[in-house]
Amino acid sequence: MSGTAPLPAIMIAGLDKFYGGFHALKHIDLEVRRGEKIVVCGPSGSGKSTLIRCINRLEPHDSGRIVVNGIDVNDASSNIQDVRREVGMVFQSFNLFPHLTILENCMLAPRLALGMKKAEAERLAQRFLDRVHIGEQAAKFPAQLSGGQQQRVAIARALCMEPRIMLFDEPTSSLDPEMIKEVLEVMEELADDGMTMICVTHEMGFARRVASRCVFMDQGEIVEIAEAAAFFEAPRSDRLRAFLSQILH
Amino acid sequence: MLISASEAGYFQQLARGAVITMELAVSGYILALIGGAVVGLVTLLPNRAIQAVWRVYASIVMGVPSLLVIFLFYYGGGTLLGGIIDITPFEAGLTALVVVYTVYVAELVRGAMRNVPRGQFEATAALAIRPVGAWLHVIMPQVVRLALPGLVNIWMIVLKDTALVSLAGLNDLVSHAKTAAGATKEPFIFFIAAALFFVVFSAVTLRFSARLEARFGRGLAVAKA
Repeated sequence: MSGTAPLPAIMIAGLDKFYGGFHALKHIDLEVRRGEKIVVCGPSGSGKSTLIRCINRLEPHDSGRIVVNGIDVNDASSNIQDVRREVGMVFQSFNLFPHLTILENCMLAPRLALGMKKAEAERLAQRFLDRVHIGEQAAKFPAQLSGGQQQRVAIARALCMEPRIMLFDEPTSSLDPEMIKEVLEVMEELADDGMTMICVTHEMGFARRVASRCVFMDQGEIVEIAEAAAFFEAPRSDRLRAFLSQILH
Repeated sequence: MLISASEAGYFQQLARGAVITMELAVSGYILALIGGAVVGLVTLLPNRAIQAVWRVYASIVMGVPSLLVIFLFYYGGGTLLGGIIDITPFEAGLTALVVVYTVYVAELVRGAMRNVPRGQFEATAALAIRPVGAWLHVIMPQVVRLALPGLVNIWMIVLKDTALVSLAGLNDLVSHAKTAAGATKEPFIFFIAAALFFVVFSAVTLRFSARLEARFGRGLAVAKA
């Protein structure tokens, strides 16, 4: 790929999203380079989850453009399918399939979406489960695991599609405090491996250690984007200053 | 207790009636399951006209006694078909049971569908699993698990409701029991024999459904253990 201008991983331009009369996203512009780790934060209802859910079309946007690895995210179902193969997602509430074992949870998408053979999918699933340090639990069901373990399985499940971009929608918000660390550690390992990541999170320690850039959203707008150091040490806007003072106690 | 030769003959008739009862219950239940699953899914489509029609239709069918629906098809069915074909009690009974219990099954399926968390649909979508695969492997197993206790209930009710079709002249278990009881002046023997049949089948059903529930409760059963 050397010599060509690097294609951005994600390009968002003039994005608008409405829920009925409510303007959830207001003219969002954001470009994410390959390998970048973006942390998105902001008060609840600021549109941060909506923003990343637009990227893999869990929410359709109303106007503007989203391009993921050169694929336009629009109504075309083949495009949506292509984008979802490039983009993995981890949810706040894990959303593991309760009737399948941990291993089967990880095998399902490679089998159904990529047409992989059973034995191959099994090896792949086991490899990613080992990578999130939960390989020995492969035969268990989700309900037998702790929240932190379930979330790590959810990360492995997304990784089994070998996505080039990972979206995290408040991955530690429904976890007990003692389980947050194990999930963040897995995410940091992923970041170290060069994965392009967008994380909606309020874990400011994680943001400082990992983020290439931090995005602050409020009332459907991007108020401020800055490198992690500047974001925390020298916020430019009053709104971000106020938010940080609340969240950092 | 000694059974006379004539009584033995009546028991044979009872057995033949039991076969008819089972045929009616099983075929009625299977057709209602299929119909209910289809209707349940169709009426979940976000279409206001479908929703409105369904609400009215379901409340009518669920509000009318099954016996009336059976009579309607038996006495009214022939007229509707222009008197060309006579409708048999079995056909009328089967149609009535299917019409009624399709609605109950559909309501059950709708309720179960709504109880599958939205996150399950979103997770399959985010994993690029196409709708058909998602339905088959993720949504349906959970819908079945949620609907299973209700479906077992409906089976027991269908089984018992077949008795009503004897009032339209079907020679089922109950009708033979009544004939035998009248002829031999031994109502207890024959009615209790018929009742035993229903009790035995209910017991068998419960055994079987416990195994089914364990199977579809996979992942949740182990968590409780």
